[in-house]
Amino acid sequence: MTIELKKLTKRFGALTAVDSVDLTVGDGEVLCLLGPSGCGKTTTLRMVAGLELASEGEVYLGGKNVSDRAARDRNVAMSFQFYALYPSLTVAENLAFPLYGEGLSKTEIEVRVARISDTLQLGGILNRTPGQLAEGEKQRVAVGRSIIRDPTCFLFDEPLSRLDVQLREEMRGEIKLVLQDLSRPTVIVTHDQLEALTMADRIAVMRDGRIEQVDTPHNVFQRPKNLFVAGFIGTPQMNLLTATLTASNGANAEFAISGGQTIMIDVDPRISELSPGTDVTLGVRPRNLEISNEPTPDGISTTIDIVEPMGAETLVHLSDGQHVLRLVTDWRVPLNEGDKVHTRFLPGTTHIFTADEQVLRTP
Amino acid sequence: MVRKHREIGKAGWGYTATTSIIGFIYFFPVLWIILTAFKTRTDALATPPKLFFTPTLDNFTSVFYRASITTGSSQATDMGLYFFNSIFIAGTSVGLALIVGTLAAYAFSRFPLRGNDTYLFIILTTRMMPPIVVIIPIFLMFRLSGLAGTYWGIILLYTAFNIPFSIWLIKSFFDELNPEIEDAARMDGSTEGRVFFGFCIPQILAGLSATFVFGLILTWNEFLFALLLTGVETRTVPVAMARTLGGEVGVDYGLLAAIVTLFLIPIFFVTFLLQNQLLRGVTFGTVKK
Amino acid sequence: MANTAKTRSGFGAWLLDPKRRGALLVAPAITILFVMNIFPLMWSFGLSFFNYKASSLKVPTFKGFDNYGKVLTDERVWERFQTTAIIVSSSVIMQLIIGFLMAMMFAKVFPLRRIVLMLVLTPMMLSFVSVGVFFKLFYEPTFGIVSFVLNFFTEERFVLLGSPEGAILGIVIADAWMWSPFVMLLVLAGLVSVPKYLYEAAEIDRASKWRTFWTITFPYIKSLLLLAVLFRTIETFKLFDVVYIITDGGPGSTTETIAVYLYRTAFQFFKTSQSSALAYIVLFIVIVLTNLYLYAVNRREEEVE
Repeated sequence: MTIELKKLTKRFGALTAVDSVDLTVGDGEVLCLLGPSGCGKTTTLRMVAGLELASEGEVYLGGKNVSDRAARDRNVAMSFQFYALYPSLTVAENLAFPLYGEGLSKTEIEVRVARISDTLQLGGILNRTPGQLAEGEKQRVAVGRSIIRDPTCFLFDEPLSRLDVQLREEMRGEIKLVLQDLSRPTVIVTHDQLEALTMADRIAVMRDGRIEQVDTPHNVFQRPKNLFVAGFIGTPQMNLLTATLTASNGANAEFAISGGQTIMIDVDPRISELSPGTDVTLGVRPRNLEISNEPTPDGISTTIDIVEPMGAETLVHLSDGQHVLRLVTDWRVPLNEGDKVHTRFLPGTTHIFTADEQVLRTP
Repeated sequence: MVRKHREIGKAGWGYTATTSIIGFIYFFPVLWIILTAFKTRTDALATPPKLFFTPTLDNFTSVFYRASITTGSSQATDMGLYFFNSIFIAGTSVGLALIVGTLAAYAFSRFPLRGNDTYLFIILTTRMMPPIVVIIPIFLMFRLSGLAGTYWGIILLYTAFNIPFSIWLIKSFFDELNPEIEDAARMDGSTEGRVFFGFCIPQILAGLSATFVFGLILTWNEFLFALLLTGVETRTVPVAMARTLGGEVGVDYGLLAAIVTLFLIPIFFVTFLLQNQLLRGVTFGTVKK
Repeated sequence: MANTAKTRSGFGAWLLDPKRRGALLVAPAITILFVMNIFPLMWSFGLSFFNYKASSLKVPTFKGFDNYGKVLTDERVWERFQTTAIIVSSSVIMQLIIGFLMAMMFAKVFPLRRIVLMLVLTPMMLSFVSVGVFFKLFYEPTFGIVSFVLNFFTEERFVLLGSPEGAILGIVIADAWMWSPFVMLLVLAGLVSVPKYLYEAAEIDRASKWRTFWTITFPYIKSLLLLAVLFRTIETFKLFDVVYIITDGGPGSTTETIAVYLYRTAFQFFKTSQSSALAYIVLFIVIVLTNLYLYAVNRREEEVE
């Protein structure tokens, strides 16, 4: 079983919500659609489910073109952002609901409900109604209801968005375990990168209805294909500085950062092929910056604006007069707001993007 | 290739056509009366009933002017006065009820008293009560005090009739406001008066006007009180209609239809404008959504 | 002396004390209601124990519970209650069916919905007298449109209001026509409050239309249906104007509702005390129904929350 999307497009009037999306999710694979709100990820999911029909393009489920079929004829399982538990039914009845249409015997239904309630530890609440459940329990029931059948694929719309931080962490692990046992393609929609990074086999980062990058969590973080993905993935956000190449010698290159300072960065030979004067964007993650007391060629001079202790680490907001840089350092490093310090870009950590936002060099 | 997708709960023009047909069938009685109002006496009484005819405004003219049999000149009927009475009496009493009701509703919503629910229950009961039950003693009371047949009497009675409804409805609007804003205003040193007039009232102005209009309609339509407690000078339109119907020699249905049609006009406006508040209005604010 | 003065200025302060602000704001409303509703009711409660006739100058004498006894043992009164019950139950059932079907129809969003909805909602806003006039005209045996249409099929002169059953039917149709939109509004409120994602979940779970209705839709409208039944029962119980206009209780007294009967006893036969006693019995019934109604309202509010 696979999910295949071919040139999938959805227009609402003049607005193109999803723009020619191509995507394949393999059997047993978990794919996260990640992006800011309004990027079209939920619409894409709903098109897979059949709750929206695509304006153009096709959806293949298990190799079959289902583009024109209604949701009920696609045999998909989906868990909704607001759980969509049936308020008048008990937990057990909610779990059994998708099975009523399958022509199963009463005992078979009971066996399956019991199995799911074991997996998700719902035994104690089977006779309650959704109104009597805590958020985390509702979430579990919603997941349970969506995995009770054997569908062509599993779809999850923002599964954890309504839980508080602690519960979210707990459920993330739990859902990951459940997902590992599913031998069907699974798509999870989320706007929370941590969720995507921890649960997905692959992540598809979306913006404005288009897929910006599809890759493993590791690659999406380490090798962002473009400026958007680089800026979107990772907390605190990657520092992005506009600069101009001034000189290069093959192993190192000098950039003039807008604002007047220059910096020397180790590069690969491809950079040397660029002619001096090319505009680029330098990207460096906050944990790859270091404060030094001495000026270095691979650093710039900055002022400390804000110091935010975060426990084991400290987040420092720096300014070079033009850009705001975020730097994460060990909590023991003594820092004072207003201090003038030098900030080093650690070797082999700087991403370089072209003026049209595509990656040029990944460390 | 373009696929058309119907979202759950949405329908298109075909559906509009179907519902319109059903809507028109349902609306037909009203339509028929309006048509009758434009018919001549012969057309109105024709068998089979005429759907197509030459419309005339005669009925509307004769609502207000009647050709005198003796002189042949036209003479004003009392219907103008009755329309004025209906408007004046309804307007004044609903206005009074609105003022008194707003104060009480604010109190019920913001300063819960002991036994609040009991008061609210009694107040609602007075509204649910069949008018015939109260009218017996009120009739005696008005006869003794000489209020029967006066504007004051009927206005006072209608005010009382509208107060329960106003309180419940306005309270439902006050209940929806966020009291934190008022507390914030109090913190900033606003007096109670300023909190009430400056913060609460402006926020429920739409609700107040809805209440006013609903009250108008209810009072405008009221029949029994008016039948028993208005005199020749203070008679309202529903009573006049009933009298025309119980008319001496043969009912002039064209004329009656014209009166009804005129009487309907404000109702159309209100039904259209207040559609979103209609549910709350007709359940006296007990059901909001 | 000084003491009295102190108390006086103290009275103003006492009255304006924030603790009494609520009471002070409610006072005008309560006063008017007392004068125009509560006091008259107390008066007629008193009268119900005498043998007062508003049309006679005789000094009334105390009769104790005689009037209540007379009313409760009066066959005619029971007949009127029966008539009222028949009209109320058939009208409310009709309103439920029509209102429910129309609500299902209008639960969808479609072009010009607001305008079509207005056509259907108008009857509810009309005055009873107008509605009475409409139907009186329709039922007119010679040129009324209902009679004409039926005449056309049966080729017999059709006098709906001529038979007791016909007259009751005529009243029920008028009342149900007028108030079905009310039931529709309530049901519609329930229908639109159903979150769309529940229907989507049912679609994903491949539930049949029938199952979807009973598991998702119905729970959202059942409390409102109960409200509609109670509210309409209370209101139809008072039915006066429509009957007064269409049949005036006839033929004979077969369509005389309790309200019309009360009107007759009080203002045509001027049996003031006896009618007061009956009025109190009616009032008692209404209070019970209103209590039930408020109970249902509170339950629904809890549900919504």
